[in-house]
Amino acid sequence: MSEHVLEVDGLQKAFRVGAGNVVACNNVSFAIPPGGSMGLVGESGSGKSTIARMLVGLETPDAGTIHVRGRQLGTRERGRAARLRRAKEIQMVFQDPYGSLDRRLTVAQCLDQAMRLHGVSGSSRIAGLLDQVGLLAKHGDSKPHQLSGGQRQRAAIARCLAIEPSVMVLDEAVSALDVSVQAQILALLNEIRASSGIALLFVSHDLAVVSEVTDDVLVMYRGSILEQGPTGRVLNAPEHSYTKLLISSMPGPGWDPKNVLERRAAFLAEVGV
Amino acid sequence: MSSLSTSTLASTPVIGKKKRDVAYLLSLGFLMVVVAAALLAPWVAPYAANAVDFTAIWQAPGAAHLLGTDQVGQDLFSRLIHGARESLLGPLALLALATVFGVTIGTVAAWNGGWIDGLLARITDVMFAFPGLLFVVLVIAVFGKGPATAIVALALAYAPVIAKFTRSLALAEMARPYVDAYRVQGVGGFFLCVRYIIPNLTPPLLGYLVVLFGEGLMSLATLSFLGFGAQPPSSEWGLMVQEGQSGIIQGHIWPTLVPGAAIAAVVVAVNVVGVRLSDRLNSRFER
Repeated sequence: MSEHVLEVDGLQKAFRVGAGNVVACNNVSFAIPPGGSMGLVGESGSGKSTIARMLVGLETPDAGTIHVRGRQLGTRERGRAARLRRAKEIQMVFQDPYGSLDRRLTVAQCLDQAMRLHGVSGSSRIAGLLDQVGLLAKHGDSKPHQLSGGQRQRAAIARCLAIEPSVMVLDEAVSALDVSVQAQILALLNEIRASSGIALLFVSHDLAVVSEVTDDVLVMYRGSILEQGPTGRVLNAPEHSYTKLLISSMPGPGWDPKNVLERRAAFLAEVGV
Repeated sequence: MSSLSTSTLASTPVIGKKKRDVAYLLSLGFLMVVVAAALLAPWVAPYAANAVDFTAIWQAPGAAHLLGTDQVGQDLFSRLIHGARESLLGPLALLALATVFGVTIGTVAAWNGGWIDGLLARITDVMFAFPGLLFVVLVIAVFGKGPATAIVALALAYAPVIAKFTRSLALAEMARPYVDAYRVQGVGGFFLCVRYIIPNLTPPLLGYLVVLFGEGLMSLATLSFLGFGAQPPSSEWGLMVQEGQSGIIQGHIWPTLVPGAAIAAVVVAVNVVGVRLSDRLNSRFER
Protein backbone atom coordinates (compact mmCIF):
# COMPACT_ATOMS: atom_id res chain seq x y z
CA MET A 1 0.00 0.00 0.00
CA SER A 2 2.70 2.42 0.96
CA GLU A 3 4.25 2.42 -2.48
CA HIS A 4 2.17 5.56 -3.00
CA VAL A 5 3.21 8.87 -1.54
CA LEU A 6 -0.35 10.19 -1.56
CA GLU A 7 -3.43 8.04 -1.19
CA VAL A 8 -6.90 9.50 -1.18
CA ASP A 9 -9.74 7.14 -0.39
CA GLY A 10 -13.48 7.78 -0.53
CA LEU A 11 -13.17 11.52 -0.05
CA GLN A 12 -16.55 13.17 0.40
CA LYS A 13 -17.58 16.79 0.81
CA ALA A 14 -20.84 18.65 0.45
CA PHE A 15 -21.49 22.34 0.95
CA ARG A 16 -24.78 23.67 2.18
CA VAL A 17 -26.08 26.20 -0.31
CA GLY A 18 -29.41 27.71 0.60
CA ALA A 19 -31.76 24.88 1.47
CA GLY A 20 -29.95 22.14 -0.43
CA ASN A 21 -26.54 20.53 -0.55
CA VAL A 22 -24.03 20.83 -3.33
CA VAL A 23 -21.78 17.81 -3.54
CA ALA A 24 -18.34 19.13 -4.30
CA CYS A 25 -16.59 15.83 -3.92
CA ASN A 26 -18.29 12.47 -4.22
CA ASN A 27 -16.39 9.35 -3.20
CA VAL A 28 -13.11 10.42 -4.77
CA SER A 29 -10.18 8.01 -4.57
CA PHE A 30 -6.79 8.19 -6.22
CA ALA A 31 -3.13 7.64 -5.49
CA ILE A 32 0.15 9.19 -6.61
CA PRO A 33 3.43 7.25 -6.61
CA PRO A 34 6.58 8.91 -5.19
CA GLY A 35 7.82 11.53 -7.62
CA GLY A 36 4.67 11.08 -9.67
CA SER A 37 2.55 13.79 -11.13
CA MET A 38 -1.21 13.68 -11.27
CA GLY A 39 -3.48 16.07 -13.12
CA LEU A 40 -6.94 16.92 -11.85
CA VAL A 41 -9.03 18.48 -14.60
CA GLY A 42 -12.58 19.63 -14.94
CA GLU A 43 -14.60 22.74 -15.50
CA SER A 44 -15.27 25.42 -12.90
CA GLY A 45 -17.35 24.06 -10.06
CA SER A 46 -16.35 20.46 -10.65
CA GLY A 47 -14.89 20.24 -7.16
CA LYS A 48 -11.22 20.05 -8.04
CA SER A 49 -10.23 23.02 -5.90
CA THR A 50 -12.22 21.61 -3.00
CA ILE A 51 -10.14 18.43 -3.20
CA ALA A 52 -6.96 20.51 -3.23
CA ARG A 53 -8.13 22.46 -0.17
CA MET A 54 -9.07 19.30 1.70
CA LEU A 55 -5.65 17.82 1.02
CA VAL A 56 -3.88 20.77 2.64
CA GLY A 57 -6.35 21.04 5.51
CA LEU A 58 -8.16 24.23 4.49
CA GLU A 59 -11.42 22.30 4.23
CA THR A 60 -12.59 19.40 6.36
CA PRO A 61 -13.80 16.33 4.45
CA ASP A 62 -17.18 14.89 5.45
CA ALA A 63 -15.82 11.38 4.95
CA GLY A 64 -12.83 9.60 3.51
CA THR A 65 -9.16 9.38 4.33
CA ILE A 66 -5.97 11.00 3.12
CA HIS A 67 -2.66 9.19 3.60
CA VAL A 68 0.71 10.72 2.91
CA ARG A 69 3.63 8.29 2.97
CA GLY A 70 1.42 5.76 4.71
CA ARG A 71 0.45 8.12 7.54
CA GLN A 72 -3.11 9.31 7.79
CA LEU A 73 -3.70 13.05 7.94
CA GLY A 74 -6.17 14.24 10.54
CA THR A 75 -9.37 15.89 9.44
CA ARG A 76 -8.63 18.88 11.63
CA GLU A 77 -5.22 19.42 13.12
CA ARG A 78 -5.15 20.46 16.76
CA GLY A 79 -1.98 21.82 18.20
CA ARG A 80 1.19 23.16 16.74
CA ALA A 81 3.03 19.87 16.28
CA ALA A 82 0.18 18.27 14.32
CA ARG A 83 -0.21 21.35 12.12
CA LEU A 84 3.47 21.48 11.31
CA ARG A 85 3.61 17.76 10.63
CA ARG A 86 0.83 18.07 8.08
CA ALA A 87 2.46 21.12 6.51
CA LYS A 88 5.69 19.18 6.21
CA GLU A 89 3.90 16.47 4.22
CA ILE A 90 1.91 18.56 1.82
CA GLN A 91 2.19 22.10 0.49
CA MET A 92 0.20 24.16 -1.95
CA VAL A 93 0.80 26.78 -4.63
CA PHE A 94 -2.20 29.04 -5.11
CA GLN A 95 -3.77 30.37 -8.26
CA ASP A 96 -3.37 34.06 -7.52
CA PRO A 97 0.29 35.01 -7.47
CA TYR A 98 -0.73 38.56 -6.56
CA GLY A 99 -2.49 37.64 -3.35
CA SER A 100 -0.74 34.51 -2.15
CA LEU A 101 2.36 36.31 -0.93
CA ASP A 102 2.31 38.56 2.13
CA ARG A 103 2.82 42.03 0.66
CA ARG A 104 4.66 43.23 3.75
CA LEU A 105 7.52 40.74 3.47
CA THR A 106 10.39 40.45 1.03
CA VAL A 107 10.83 37.12 -0.71
CA ALA A 108 13.81 36.28 1.50
CA GLN A 109 11.89 37.11 4.69
CA CYS A 110 9.00 35.00 3.47
CA LEU A 111 11.28 31.99 2.87
CA ASP A 112 13.15 32.56 6.13
CA GLN A 113 9.94 32.61 8.18
CA ALA A 114 8.63 29.45 6.51
CA MET A 115 11.89 27.64 7.29
CA ARG A 116 12.11 28.94 10.84
CA LEU A 117 8.55 27.84 11.50
CA HIS A 118 9.66 24.35 10.60
CA GLY A 119 12.82 24.54 12.64
CA VAL A 120 15.12 24.78 9.65
CA SER A 121 17.54 27.58 10.29
CA GLY A 122 19.93 28.91 7.75
CA SER A 123 19.73 31.95 5.58
CA SER A 124 22.28 30.12 3.47
CA ARG A 125 19.48 27.96 2.10
CA ILE A 126 17.59 31.01 0.84
CA ALA A 127 20.10 31.60 -1.93
CA GLY A 128 19.83 27.97 -2.95
CA LEU A 129 16.04 28.11 -3.01
CA LEU A 130 15.99 31.28 -5.09
CA ASP A 131 18.39 29.66 -7.51
CA GLN A 132 16.33 26.49 -7.62
CA VAL A 133 13.22 28.37 -8.76
CA GLY A 134 15.11 30.56 -11.21
CA LEU A 135 15.10 33.78 -9.23
CA LEU A 136 18.15 35.98 -8.89
CA ALA A 137 19.71 36.77 -5.54
CA LYS A 138 18.49 40.37 -5.80
CA HIS A 139 14.89 39.17 -5.97
CA GLY A 140 15.27 38.03 -2.38
CA ASP A 141 15.18 41.66 -1.29
CA SER A 142 12.10 42.45 -3.38
CA LYS A 143 8.60 42.75 -2.05
CA PRO A 144 5.86 41.00 -4.05
CA HIS A 145 4.62 44.19 -5.73
CA GLN A 146 8.08 44.71 -7.23
CA LEU A 147 7.94 41.33 -8.99
CA SER A 148 6.12 40.13 -12.09
CA GLY A 149 3.41 37.49 -11.92
CA GLY A 150 5.80 34.74 -13.00
CA GLN A 151 8.43 35.81 -10.49
CA ARG A 152 5.84 35.84 -7.72
CA GLN A 153 4.73 32.35 -8.61
CA ARG A 154 8.38 31.25 -8.52
CA ALA A 155 8.62 32.80 -5.06
CA ALA A 156 5.48 30.92 -3.99
CA ILE A 157 7.00 27.67 -5.27
CA ALA A 158 10.22 28.44 -3.39
CA ARG A 159 8.16 28.94 -0.23
CA CYS A 160 6.73 25.43 -0.67
CA LEU A 161 10.15 23.95 -1.35
CA ALA A 162 11.50 25.63 1.79
CA ILE A 163 9.35 23.29 3.85
CA GLU A 164 10.51 20.24 1.85
CA PRO A 165 7.13 18.54 1.51
CA SER A 166 6.50 15.11 0.02
CA VAL A 167 3.59 16.37 -2.07
CA MET A 168 2.97 19.71 -3.71
CA VAL A 169 -0.55 20.68 -4.71
CA LEU A 170 -0.77 23.26 -7.48
CA ASP A 171 -4.21 24.81 -7.62
CA GLU A 172 -4.50 26.49 -11.03
CA ALA A 173 -0.97 27.63 -10.37
CA VAL A 174 -0.29 28.88 -13.89
CA SER A 175 -3.80 30.01 -14.88
CA ALA A 176 -3.17 33.64 -14.02
CA LEU A 177 0.05 33.79 -16.04
CA ASP A 178 0.47 34.50 -19.72
CA VAL A 179 1.40 31.67 -22.04
CA SER A 180 5.16 32.20 -22.28
CA VAL A 181 5.47 32.57 -18.51
CA GLN A 182 3.28 29.50 -18.11
CA ALA A 183 5.74 27.49 -20.15
CA GLN A 184 8.63 28.64 -17.96
CA ILE A 185 6.84 27.74 -14.76
CA LEU A 186 5.81 24.34 -16.14
CA ALA A 187 9.41 23.64 -17.15
CA LEU A 188 10.47 24.65 -13.65
CA LEU A 189 7.95 22.27 -12.09
CA ASN A 190 9.18 19.39 -14.25
CA GLU A 191 12.72 20.23 -13.18
CA ILE A 192 11.81 20.32 -9.49
CA ARG A 193 9.99 17.03 -9.77
CA ALA A 194 12.95 15.40 -11.45
CA SER A 195 15.52 16.77 -9.00
CA SER A 196 13.67 16.61 -5.69
CA GLY A 197 11.25 13.73 -6.18
CA ILE A 198 8.36 15.78 -4.80
CA ALA A 199 5.07 14.41 -6.09
CA LEU A 200 2.78 16.91 -7.81
CA LEU A 201 -0.97 17.17 -7.87
CA PHE A 202 -1.78 19.56 -10.65
CA VAL A 203 -5.26 21.04 -10.49
CA SER A 204 -6.24 22.81 -13.68
CA HIS A 205 -9.00 23.43 -16.15
CA ASP A 206 -6.38 23.68 -18.88
CA LEU A 207 -5.78 20.36 -20.60
CA ALA A 208 -2.77 21.62 -22.52
CA VAL A 209 -1.07 22.59 -19.27
CA VAL A 210 -1.90 19.28 -17.65
CA SER A 211 -0.50 17.33 -20.57
CA GLU A 212 2.84 19.12 -20.09
CA VAL A 213 3.49 18.16 -16.50
CA THR A 214 1.52 15.09 -15.52
CA ASP A 215 1.83 11.33 -15.91
CA ASP A 216 -1.74 10.54 -14.99
CA VAL A 217 -4.93 12.50 -15.08
CA LEU A 218 -8.31 12.49 -13.35
CA VAL A 219 -11.30 14.00 -15.10
CA MET A 220 -13.88 15.39 -12.71
CA TYR A 221 -17.41 16.54 -13.22
CA ARG A 222 -19.72 17.72 -10.44
CA GLY A 223 -17.66 16.17 -7.69
CA SER A 224 -17.17 12.76 -9.27
CA ILE A 225 -14.29 11.24 -11.19
CA LEU A 226 -15.52 10.24 -14.63
CA GLU A 227 -12.32 8.98 -16.14
CA GLN A 228 -8.74 8.39 -15.09
CA GLY A 229 -5.62 7.02 -16.64
CA PRO A 230 -2.28 7.95 -18.17
CA THR A 231 -2.44 11.54 -19.39
CA GLY A 232 -1.45 10.70 -22.97
CA ARG A 233 -4.07 7.99 -23.28
CA VAL A 234 -6.90 10.03 -21.72
CA LEU A 235 -6.20 13.10 -23.82
CA ASN A 236 -5.59 11.27 -27.11
CA ALA A 237 -8.16 8.52 -26.81
CA PRO A 238 -10.76 9.64 -24.29
CA GLU A 239 -13.36 7.08 -23.32
CA HIS A 240 -15.90 9.11 -21.41
CA SER A 241 -18.13 11.46 -23.39
CA TYR A 242 -17.41 14.28 -20.93
CA THR A 243 -13.67 13.96 -21.51
CA LYS A 244 -14.33 14.10 -25.24
CA LEU A 245 -16.43 17.20 -24.70
CA LEU A 246 -13.71 18.81 -22.59
CA ILE A 247 -11.10 18.11 -25.25
CA SER A 248 -13.27 19.40 -28.06
CA SER A 249 -13.87 22.56 -25.99
CA MET A 250 -10.21 23.51 -26.26
CA PRO A 251 -9.69 26.30 -28.76
CA GLY A 252 -7.50 25.19 -31.66
CA PRO A 253 -7.46 24.85 -35.44
CA GLY A 254 -10.88 24.11 -36.81
CA TRP A 255 -12.47 24.91 -33.47
CA ASP A 256 -16.12 25.84 -33.58
CA PRO A 257 -17.76 27.26 -30.45
CA LYS A 258 -21.20 26.41 -31.75
CA ASN A 259 -20.22 22.79 -32.13
CA VAL A 260 -18.92 22.78 -28.53
CA LEU A 261 -22.20 24.13 -27.21
CA GLU A 262 -24.15 21.49 -29.10
CA ARG A 263 -21.98 18.70 -27.75
CA ARG A 264 -22.30 20.14 -24.26
CA ALA A 265 -26.08 20.14 -24.55
CA ALA A 266 -25.95 16.54 -25.75
CA PHE A 267 -23.76 15.58 -22.80
CA LEU A 268 -26.03 17.28 -20.27
CA ALA A 269 -29.00 15.46 -21.77
CA GLU A 270 -27.06 12.21 -21.44
CA VAL A 271 -26.30 12.65 -17.73
CA GLY A 272 -29.87 13.74 -17.21
CA VAL A 273 -29.60 17.37 -16.10
CA MET B 1 -0.57 57.80 -29.90
CA SER B 2 0.49 55.85 -26.87
CA SER B 3 2.60 58.70 -25.53
CA LEU B 4 -0.37 61.04 -25.92
CA SER B 5 -2.69 58.79 -23.98
CA THR B 6 -0.20 58.17 -21.18
CA SER B 7 0.48 61.88 -20.77
CA THR B 8 -3.20 62.77 -20.55
CA LEU B 9 -3.77 59.91 -18.16
CA ALA B 10 -0.86 60.93 -16.01
CA SER B 11 -1.53 64.66 -15.95
CA THR B 12 -4.85 64.68 -14.13
CA PRO B 13 -3.90 62.94 -10.90
CA VAL B 14 -0.62 64.84 -10.65
CA ILE B 15 -2.38 68.20 -10.44
CA GLY B 16 -4.78 66.93 -7.81
CA LYS B 17 -1.89 65.45 -5.88
CA LYS B 18 0.07 68.70 -5.78
CA LYS B 19 -2.91 70.69 -4.59
CA ARG B 20 -3.58 68.32 -1.75
CA ASP B 21 0.07 68.13 -0.81
CA VAL B 22 0.13 71.83 0.11
CA ALA B 23 -2.67 71.41 2.63
CA TYR B 24 -1.04 68.21 3.89
CA LEU B 25 2.38 69.77 4.35
CA LEU B 26 0.94 72.89 5.99
CA SER B 27 -1.11 70.78 8.38
CA LEU B 28 1.78 68.49 9.14
CA GLY B 29 4.08 71.49 9.74
CA PHE B 30 1.51 73.12 12.01
CA LEU B 31 1.05 69.94 14.05
CA MET B 32 4.80 69.54 14.41
CA VAL B 33 5.06 73.10 15.74
CA VAL B 34 2.24 72.43 18.21
CA VAL B 35 3.82 69.19 19.40
CA ALA B 36 7.24 70.86 19.71
CA ALA B 37 5.70 73.71 21.69
CA ALA B 38 3.97 71.22 23.98
CA LEU B 39 7.18 69.27 24.55
CA LEU B 40 9.24 72.41 25.17
CA ALA B 41 6.50 74.28 27.06
CA PRO B 42 8.61 75.40 30.08
CA TRP B 43 11.25 76.86 27.78
CA VAL B 44 9.01 78.24 25.05
CA ALA B 45 6.23 79.81 27.12
CA PRO B 46 7.01 83.40 28.15
CA TYR B 47 5.11 83.03 31.46
CA ALA B 48 4.26 80.20 33.84
CA ALA B 49 0.89 78.58 33.15
CA ASN B 50 -0.64 79.95 36.32
CA ALA B 51 1.19 83.24 36.74
CA VAL B 52 -1.54 85.59 37.94
CA ASP B 53 -1.15 89.31 37.23
CA PHE B 54 -4.03 91.47 38.41
CA THR B 55 -2.51 94.55 36.82
CA ALA B 56 -3.06 93.03 33.38
CA ILE B 57 -6.44 91.34 33.25
CA TRP B 58 -8.43 90.87 30.05
CA GLN B 59 -5.73 92.26 27.85
CA ALA B 60 -6.17 92.06 24.09
CA PRO B 61 -3.27 90.49 22.15
CA GLY B 62 -0.24 92.73 22.20
CA ALA B 63 3.50 92.91 22.66
CA ALA B 64 3.53 91.94 26.35
CA HIS B 65 0.94 89.20 25.97
CA LEU B 66 1.01 87.66 22.52
CA LEU B 67 -2.57 86.34 22.69
CA GLY B 68 -3.87 88.48 25.54
CA THR B 69 -4.76 87.58 29.13
CA ASP B 70 -7.74 86.20 31.03
CA GLN B 71 -9.79 87.44 33.97
CA VAL B 72 -6.94 87.02 36.45
CA GLY B 73 -4.25 88.22 34.09
CA GLN B 74 -2.81 84.84 33.14
CA ASP B 75 -0.99 84.89 29.79
CA LEU B 76 -3.19 83.01 27.29
CA PHE B 77 -0.30 82.07 24.99
CA SER B 78 1.60 80.47 27.86
CA ARG B 79 -1.48 78.67 29.16
CA LEU B 80 -2.19 77.41 25.64
CA ILE B 81 1.29 75.96 25.29
CA HIS B 82 1.30 74.38 28.74
CA GLY B 83 -2.21 73.07 28.18
CA ALA B 84 -1.19 71.53 24.86
CA ARG B 85 0.46 68.69 26.76
CA GLU B 86 -2.69 67.54 28.44
CA SER B 87 -4.83 68.40 25.43
CA LEU B 88 -2.74 66.22 23.10
CA LEU B 89 -1.71 63.43 25.47
CA GLY B 90 -5.33 62.90 26.54
CA PRO B 91 -6.61 61.83 23.11
CA LEU B 92 -3.41 59.84 22.57
CA ALA B 93 -3.97 57.81 25.73
CA LEU B 94 -7.63 57.42 24.91
CA LEU B 95 -6.85 56.13 21.43
CA ALA B 96 -4.14 53.79 22.66
CA LEU B 97 -6.58 52.22 25.07
CA ALA B 98 -9.46 52.09 22.58
CA THR B 99 -7.17 50.64 19.89
CA VAL B 100 -5.93 47.81 22.09
CA PHE B 101 -9.51 46.84 22.91
CA GLY B 102 -10.97 47.57 19.49
CA VAL B 103 -8.35 45.81 17.39
CA THR B 104 -8.37 42.77 19.65
CA ILE B 105 -12.15 42.44 19.62
CA GLY B 106 -12.45 43.20 15.90
CA THR B 107 -9.80 40.66 14.91
CA VAL B 108 -11.20 37.95 17.17
CA ALA B 109 -14.69 38.57 15.77
CA ALA B 110 -13.45 38.38 12.19
CA TRP B 111 -11.36 35.26 12.79
CA ASN B 112 -13.84 33.27 14.87
CA GLY B 113 -17.17 34.52 13.56
CA GLY B 114 -19.99 32.82 15.43
CA TRP B 115 -21.30 34.14 18.73
CA ILE B 116 -18.34 36.43 19.39
CA ASP B 117 -19.05 38.17 16.11
CA GLY B 118 -22.76 38.35 16.95
CA LEU B 119 -22.05 39.81 20.39
CA LEU B 120 -19.78 42.46 18.91
CA ALA B 121 -22.44 43.41 16.38
CA ARG B 122 -25.04 43.84 19.14
CA ILE B 123 -22.71 45.90 21.35
CA THR B 124 -21.75 48.20 18.49
CA ASP B 125 -25.42 48.57 17.53
CA VAL B 126 -26.23 49.68 21.08
CA MET B 127 -23.24 52.01 21.16
CA PHE B 128 -24.21 53.57 17.84
CA ALA B 129 -27.81 54.06 18.94
CA PHE B 130 -26.75 55.52 22.30
CA PRO B 131 -25.26 59.03 22.12
CA GLY B 132 -21.55 58.65 22.90
CA LEU B 133 -21.35 61.64 25.18
CA LEU B 134 -24.34 60.45 27.19
CA PHE B 135 -22.63 57.11 27.75
CA VAL B 136 -19.47 58.85 28.85
CA VAL B 137 -21.33 61.13 31.27
CA LEU B 138 -23.00 58.02 32.67
CA VAL B 139 -19.64 56.35 33.27
CA ILE B 140 -18.32 59.52 34.89
CA ALA B 141 -21.40 59.71 37.08
CA VAL B 142 -20.59 56.23 38.36
CA PHE B 143 -16.81 56.48 38.70
CA GLY B 144 -16.38 60.18 39.46
CA LYS B 145 -15.07 63.02 37.35
CA GLY B 146 -11.45 63.65 36.41
CA PRO B 147 -9.19 63.39 33.38
CA ALA B 148 -8.43 59.69 33.87
CA THR B 149 -12.09 58.68 34.10
CA ALA B 150 -12.91 60.83 31.08
CA ILE B 151 -10.19 59.10 29.06
CA VAL B 152 -11.23 55.58 30.07
CA ALA B 153 -14.92 56.35 29.50
CA LEU B 154 -14.25 57.72 26.02
CA ALA B 155 -11.98 54.77 25.26
CA LEU B 156 -14.88 52.46 26.09
CA ALA B 157 -17.09 54.45 23.75
CA TYR B 158 -14.53 54.41 20.94
CA ALA B 159 -13.50 50.76 21.24
CA PRO B 160 -16.61 49.34 19.47
CA VAL B 161 -16.18 51.80 16.61
CA ILE B 162 -12.58 50.72 16.12
CA ALA B 163 -13.60 47.09 16.57
CA LYS B 164 -16.17 47.35 13.82
CA PHE B 165 -13.72 49.03 11.45
CA THR B 166 -11.02 46.48 12.28
CA ARG B 167 -13.46 43.63 11.75
CA SER B 168 -14.35 44.74 8.24
CA LEU B 169 -10.68 45.25 7.34
CA ALA B 170 -9.72 41.91 8.86
CA LEU B 171 -12.48 40.05 7.03
CA ALA B 172 -11.22 41.40 3.70
CA GLU B 173 -7.66 40.59 4.69
CA MET B 174 -8.48 37.03 5.74
CA ALA B 175 -10.04 36.38 2.34
CA ARG B 176 -6.65 36.96 0.71
CA PRO B 177 -4.89 33.77 -0.37
CA TYR B 178 -1.72 34.56 1.55
CA VAL B 179 -3.64 33.89 4.76
CA ASP B 180 -4.50 30.41 3.44
CA ALA B 181 -0.86 30.02 2.47
CA TYR B 182 0.21 30.69 6.06
CA ARG B 183 -2.33 28.18 7.33
CA VAL B 184 -1.05 25.59 4.87
CA GLN B 185 2.44 26.27 6.23
CA GLY B 186 1.12 25.31 9.63
CA VAL B 187 0.89 28.76 11.21
CA GLY B 188 -1.62 28.74 14.08
CA GLY B 189 -4.59 31.10 14.28
CA PHE B 190 -3.33 33.32 17.11
CA PHE B 191 0.14 33.73 15.65
CA LEU B 192 -1.31 34.32 12.20
CA CYS B 193 -3.53 37.14 13.46
CA VAL B 194 -0.93 38.85 15.63
CA ARG B 195 2.10 38.42 13.44
CA TYR B 196 0.70 38.70 9.93
CA ILE B 197 -2.90 39.91 9.69
CA ILE B 198 -2.88 42.82 12.16
CA PRO B 199 0.35 44.30 10.76
CA ASN B 200 -1.27 44.19 7.33
CA LEU B 201 -4.24 46.15 8.70
CA THR B 202 -2.03 48.88 10.11
CA PRO B 203 -1.90 51.26 7.11
CA PRO B 204 -5.66 51.76 6.69
CA LEU B 205 -6.15 51.60 10.46
CA LEU B 206 -3.51 54.25 11.10
CA GLY B 207 -5.21 56.78 8.83
CA TYR B 208 -8.52 56.13 10.55
CA LEU B 209 -6.96 56.47 13.99
CA VAL B 210 -5.41 59.82 13.11
CA VAL B 211 -8.86 61.12 12.17
CA LEU B 212 -10.26 59.63 15.38
CA PHE B 213 -7.53 61.47 17.29
CA GLY B 214 -9.08 64.76 16.20
CA GLU B 215 -12.47 63.55 17.31
CA GLY B 216 -11.06 62.35 20.62
CA LEU B 217 -9.40 65.70 21.25
CA MET B 218 -12.72 67.43 20.68
CA SER B 219 -14.63 64.99 22.90
CA LEU B 220 -12.13 65.34 25.75
CA ALA B 221 -12.23 69.13 25.44
CA THR B 222 -16.01 68.96 25.55
CA LEU B 223 -15.91 66.90 28.73
CA SER B 224 -13.48 69.35 30.31
CA PHE B 225 -15.71 72.20 29.21
CA LEU B 226 -18.62 70.51 30.97
CA GLY B 227 -16.47 70.09 34.07
CA PHE B 228 -16.14 66.29 33.85
CA GLY B 229 -12.58 66.06 32.53
CA ALA B 230 -9.55 68.20 33.36
CA GLN B 231 -9.88 70.18 36.59
CA PRO B 232 -8.43 73.58 37.55
CA PRO B 233 -5.69 74.73 37.76
CA SER B 234 -5.04 72.78 34.56
CA SER B 235 -4.95 74.80 31.37
CA GLU B 236 -6.41 72.03 29.22
CA TRP B 237 -7.97 73.74 26.23
CA GLY B 238 -11.58 72.72 26.84
CA LEU B 239 -11.27 73.93 30.42
CA MET B 240 -9.76 77.22 29.17
CA VAL B 241 -12.80 77.77 26.96
CA GLN B 242 -15.07 77.13 29.92
CA GLU B 243 -13.15 79.49 32.21
CA GLY B 244 -13.07 82.16 29.55
CA GLN B 245 -16.78 82.22 28.82
CA SER B 246 -17.58 84.39 31.85
CA GLY B 247 -15.86 87.24 30.04
CA ILE B 248 -17.85 86.96 26.83
CA ILE B 249 -20.83 88.90 28.22
CA GLN B 250 -18.46 91.75 29.05
CA GLY B 251 -17.01 91.66 25.57
CA HIS B 252 -13.76 89.84 26.37
CA ILE B 253 -13.66 87.22 23.66
CA TRP B 254 -9.96 86.34 23.67
CA PRO B 255 -9.91 83.93 26.64
CA THR B 256 -12.56 81.83 24.83
CA LEU B 257 -11.50 82.41 21.28
CA VAL B 258 -7.82 81.47 21.71
CA PRO B 259 -8.26 77.95 23.10
CA GLY B 260 -11.32 77.41 20.89
CA ALA B 261 -9.37 78.31 17.79
CA ALA B 262 -6.49 76.11 18.93
CA ILE B 263 -8.83 73.12 19.25
CA ALA B 264 -10.38 73.80 15.84
CA ALA B 265 -7.03 74.32 14.11
CA VAL B 266 -5.51 71.13 15.52
CA VAL B 267 -8.60 69.07 14.67
CA VAL B 268 -8.68 70.36 11.10
CA ALA B 269 -4.95 69.77 10.65
CA VAL B 270 -5.22 66.27 12.12
CA ASN B 271 -8.06 65.46 9.74
CA VAL B 272 -6.16 66.67 6.70
CA VAL B 273 -3.11 64.67 7.72
CA GLY B 274 -5.18 61.62 8.55
CA VAL B 275 -7.01 61.49 5.23
CA ARG B 276 -3.85 62.12 3.24
CA LEU B 277 -1.89 59.60 5.28
CA SER B 278 -4.41 56.83 4.78
CA ASP B 279 -4.45 57.56 1.03
CA ARG B 280 -0.68 57.32 0.89
CA LEU B 281 -0.34 54.24 3.03
CA ASN B 282 -3.13 52.45 1.21
CA SER B 283 -1.86 53.20 -2.26
CA ARG B 284 1.61 52.06 -1.29
CA PHE B 285 0.23 48.88 0.22
CA GLU B 286 -2.24 47.84 -2.42
CA ARG B 287 -0.68 44.95 -4.28
